[in-house]
Amino acid sequence: MSAEESIYLPETATIVDTKEMTEREKLFEVELDSGEELGHEPGQFVELSIPGIGEAPISVSSAPTKEGHTFELCVRAVGNVTNALHRKEKGDKIGIRGPYGTSFPVEELEGRNLLFIAGGLGIAPLRSLINYVIDKREDFQDVNILYGCRKPCELLYEDEVEDWRTNDELDYRETVDECPDDVCWEGNVGVITTLIPGVDIDVENTYSVVCGPPIMYKFVLQELEEKELPAEQIYLSMERRMKCGVGKCGHCQINGEEGEYYACQDGPVFNYADVQGFEEAI
Amino acid sequence: MSKKPKAAIFDFAGCEGDELQIANLEEQLLDLLNIVEVVSFREVMTEHSDDYDIAFIEGSVTRDHDAERLKRIRDNADIVVAIGACATIGGINSIRNTQDHEEVKQRVYGDKGDMFESWDKAKAVDAVIDVDYKVHGCPIDRDEFLHVVKSLVMGKEPNIPDYPVCVECKLNENVCAFERDEFCVGPVTRAGCDACCVNEGTICWGCRGLIDNPNEDAHMEVLEEYGLTPEEVMKKFSLYFNWQEEAREDE
Amino acid sequence: MKIIDKEDLDSFVADMIEKGEKEVVGVQEKGHKYAFQELKRAEDLRLDYDVTMLPPKKYFMPQREDLLEYEKDEDLSLEGVNEVVPRIIIGIHPYDLIAIEQMDRVFSDTYEDEHYLKKRKESVLIGVNMQEVSEWSFAASMGTATTDYGYDLMLTDLGDRYAIEIGSSKGSDLLERYCVDLKEAKSEDIESVEREKEKIKESFEKEFEFSPESLPWLMEQGYEKKEFWEEHAEDCYSCGSCNLVCPTCYCFDVQDISDLSLGGGKRTRKWDGCLLESFAVVASGENFREERSERYRHRYMRKGKYLYDMFGDIACVGCGRCSSHCVPDIADPTVVFNELMEEVR
Ligand SMILES: Cc1cc2nc3c(=O)[nH]c(=O)nc-3n(C[C@H](O)[C@H](O)[C@H](O)COP(=O)(O)OP(=O)(O)OC[C@H]3O[C@@H](n4cnc5c(N)ncnc54)[C@H](O)[C@@H]3O)c2cc1C
Ligand code: SF4
Ligand code: SF4
Ligand code: SF4
Ligand code: SF4
Ligand code: SF4
Ligand code: FES
Repeated sequence: MSAEESIYLPETATIVDTKEMTEREKLFEVELDSGEELGHEPGQFVELSIPGIGEAPISVSSAPTKEGHTFELCVRAVGNVTNALHRKEKGDKIGIRGPYGTSFPVEELEGRNLLFIAGGLGIAPLRSLINYVIDKREDFQDVNILYGCRKPCELLYEDEVEDWRTNDELDYRETVDECPDDVCWEGNVGVITTLIPGVDIDVENTYSVVCGPPIMYKFVLQELEEKELPAEQIYLSMERRMKCGVGKCGHCQINGEEGEYYACQDGPVFNYADVQGFEEAI
Repeated sequence: MSKKPKAAIFDFAGCEGDELQIANLEEQLLDLLNIVEVVSFREVMTEHSDDYDIAFIEGSVTRDHDAERLKRIRDNADIVVAIGACATIGGINSIRNTQDHEEVKQRVYGDKGDMFESWDKAKAVDAVIDVDYKVHGCPIDRDEFLHVVKSLVMGKEPNIPDYPVCVECKLNENVCAFERDEFCVGPVTRAGCDACCVNEGTICWGCRGLIDNPNEDAHMEVLEEYGLTPEEVMKKFSLYFNWQEEAREDE
Repeated sequence: MKIIDKEDLDSFVADMIEKGEKEVVGVQEKGHKYAFQELKRAEDLRLDYDVTMLPPKKYFMPQREDLLEYEKDEDLSLEGVNEVVPRIIIGIHPYDLIAIEQMDRVFSDTYEDEHYLKKRKESVLIGVNMQEVSEWSFAASMGTATTDYGYDLMLTDLGDRYAIEIGSSKGSDLLERYCVDLKEAKSEDIESVEREKEKIKESFEKEFEFSPESLPWLMEQGYEKKEFWEEHAEDCYSCGSCNLVCPTCYCFDVQDISDLSLGGGKRTRKWDGCLLESFAVVASGENFREERSERYRHRYMRKGKYLYDMFGDIACVGCGRCSSHCVPDIADPTVVFNELMEEVR
C-alpha cells in the first residue's frame, strides 16, 4: 500500500540537527527523506511519528521562507512521543505526515499592523509567521511582539529573541510570571496581559495573532476586547487532542451551540469571530 | 532505560496465579528474556539478587513483615509494578475487610488463629509504598503484562484503559448480562481484559477494580432496579472493590 | 423487480457460500440476539431478525484494524496495511444501509480513507425490508424504515417468495453469477412490496413528536439547557456503549503495538467514543469535555446538528441500538429529543 493509498502513512524523515533550548524544549531540524520541501504555510502542523510509541501533532516552527528544504519543530517533552523524540539524536529517523490544518492568513495580514501575543510554547507556531514577516518586512506595517513565559529560563529561541530585541523594525516586549532572586532579568515581571495596555492598537488596522496555553486566551482576549479590537482582526491557534490530523478520528472537536469545528481541519488557526460563541473554544 | 533492564518478581499474600501466568508465557517468555533480565523469580528459579530496575509485586499486604519487605524493594527498584488484583486493589483478600476480623481468623485458621500475626485488613501494595504501574486482573492478562513490560523497556507509559469493561464487551458483540437476566459490574470496572468473562458467556465480577471515576451510585440503583436486593448489591461490590472504596473514603 | 421462491433464495445463498469467491456474511442468532457473522450454511441466515447488536459498519471499519507496519533496523521503514476481505453481506435493514451511505461521505470527505473505502468498494450489500421491528427502533420517524438507495440488492418477504429490487450492476452481476430461477415481478408483486413497506412504517412503537427536520434548530436551542443535560446524564456510566453500537459513529483511537523484539510492530486503530471520559484529554491533562453531562450532550449535538451541518444528514437513523444497549436506560433519542422539545417550547 503506497502513501497515496493510506492517509495515515507517514513519510520517513531524518533529524539533521537538534538544539537544546531549555530543560523541557528542544528544537529539531528535520529533512524529509524524499528530499522534497514540506511545503507548509505559517501556522500549520505535522503529525510526527515515533513508530512503536505513537504520533503527536506539532506545529511547524520555521517559516516557509527559511533557506533550504529542512523545517524546524520546537518540542516540549511532556509524554510518550515527545519524550521519545527528545531521546533521538542527529541522524535518527522519524515519520512525518502533513502539513495539515489552516494557516495564518498571510495575504489578509499584508499591509497591516501586527500584534503577536505568545505565551510559553505558543511561540512555536507564531515563530513561523514572525520569521516570515521579518523576511518580508516591507509587506507589513508596525510589528509588535509580546512574549511571556513563566520564568526567564523558559524563554525559547534565545538567539533569535536577542535579534528581535535589537531589531529597530520590531517592537518586542517580554515578560515572565516570576523571576527567581538570583536571576538577572531586565524585562517585565507579570502575566502577559500586563504588556497589552502599553501597546498602541489601531483598531482600524491592527491584527492580533495569539497563541499560548488554554488559560491564557480568556485573559488576553478580554484585554483585546477592552482595547476594542474587533474579533475579526484576531487570529488564534488552538490545541486539542488529536489522533489522526485529517478530520476522521473525532478527537479534536470543539463544540458550541452554533456548531462545531474539527481543530485539525477547521483549525488550528481560527479567526476569533468564528469561535467566539463556542463554549468549548475559549 | 538501559538496553536490558533487570527485573525481579516477588510474591506476597496471593495465590501466585499471576506468576503462573508469567511462567506460562512459553515461547513468549524466551522473547521476553531477550528484552529484560530476570534476576529473581521464586516460581521458576532459585537464584536471587537485589540488583534490579523493575520490581513486579504479586499479592496483597497483610502484616508488618510484608510492609518492611516492600519498603526494601521500593528502595532497590526504579520502577515498581503491582501485578494482579491482590496487589493492585487488595483483591479477593479484601473481601474480609468488611467482616469481623476475629471471626475471619477463626474461620481460616481455626484454633490456631492467634498464632498468625495479621492485620485486620488486607491492603493493596500502594497502601504501603508508591506504585508506578498496575497490571490489573485476577489473574493478570498475559498480553497486558507483556504490553507493560515492552512499554517500560521502550520508555513509554503503558496504556492501561480507564474505561469500563462494557467498551470491550461491545466491541466483541457480546449479549449483555443484563439482557440475560444476569447482573454484572462491568459498567464500573476497568477494562483491559477484553471482557474475557463475558466473552465466555458469564458476567464481569470486577476483578480489575473500579475505573478512576466510576458512577457507582447509578450502578447500585440500576442493580436494584433490575431486581437485586440492597444486600445482594453490596455483595456484588464487595467481591473486589472493598479496598478501593475504603481508600477513597479515607481521602 | 424480480421474484424468487424462498427455496431458491436458499440455494442462491448456498451457491455463493460454496463457490467462495467472496466471503458470505449474514444475520444469524447469537445468544438470543442477532449479529452479522460469516455464514457457513444458508439455513443459518435469519432474515426475520429485528436488529443486530453491532451494525454492519464493522466490515468496513473493523473494531480493531491495522493501519501500518513498521520496521526499525538500520533504517526506518513504514508500510501501509489494509486487510481487505471482499464480502457479500446479506440482510441489511434500510436504516443500516442509509447509515452506510453516511459513513461513505465521512470517509471520503477531503482526505479519502482507503482503509474504509476499499473495504466498502469490495463489498456487495444485500438489503432486506424489516419483518420484525425492534421495540427500541424509531426508523419511521427518521425516514429510514425503507429506502430506495444504498443497496445492491433489496429483498422483501412476500410469504412464500421474495421480491428482489436491483440497486446496482454489482447486484445484477450477483444474480447472474449465482442465481438460476428468477421470475419477472408482476404488477401485483410490485403492489405487494409497496404494501409491505407501508405496513413496516406503521409498526414502530417509538416515535418523534416532531419532524426530525427541526432537530438542528432544537439542538441549538437546547445546548444551553444545562440542567436538562445534567439531569439526563446523572446515571450515565460514561461507558460509551451508545457510541460503540451506533451505525453512524466513527470516532477512533490510534495505538502503536510493538513486537516483543521491539524491532518492529504496527499501528492500529480501535473504535472510540465521545462518551468516554478521556476522549478530549490533552497532554497537559486538561479535559475539554470533563463533565458527564457535557459528553452526554455532545452525542446528541452530533446526531442532531453538528453532523447535519457538516454533511447534510441527521446522523441518527433510528435503529434504537444506543437505547437498547444503555444499561441505565438513558440513551433513548426519542425520549431525550422529545423531552428537549418540551423544554424548549
Ligand atoms: C495543532 C497542535 C500543534 C502543536 N504544536 C506543538 C509544538 O509545536 N510543540 C510541542 O511541544 N507541542 C505541540 N503540541 C502539543 C503536542 O501535540 C502534545 O504535547 C503531544 O501530543 C503530547 O504527546 P505525547 O505522546 O508526548 O504525550 P502523551 O501524554 O503520552 O499523550 C499521548 C496521547 O494521549 C493523550 N493524553 C494525554 N494525557 C492523557 C490522559 N490523561 N488520558 C488519556 N489520554 C491522554 C494526548 O492528548 C495524546 O494524544 C501541539 C498540539 C496541537 C494540537
Ligand atoms: S455484560 Fe457487563 S460488561 Fe458487558 S456490556 Fe453488559 S454490563 Fe457491560
Ligand atoms: S470481565 Fe471482569 S471479572 Fe472478568 S477478567 Fe475482566 S474485569 Fe475481571
Ligand atoms: S448514555 Fe448510557 S450507554 Fe451511553 S455512556 Fe451513558 S450509560 Fe453508557
Ligand atoms: S443514535 Fe442510536 S438510534 Fe440513532 S443511529 Fe445511533 S444507535 Fe441508532
Ligand atoms: S457521536 Fe461522538 S463518537 Fe459518535 S461520531 Fe460523534 S463524536 Fe464520534
Ligand atoms: S485529529 Fe482526528 S479528527 Fe481532528
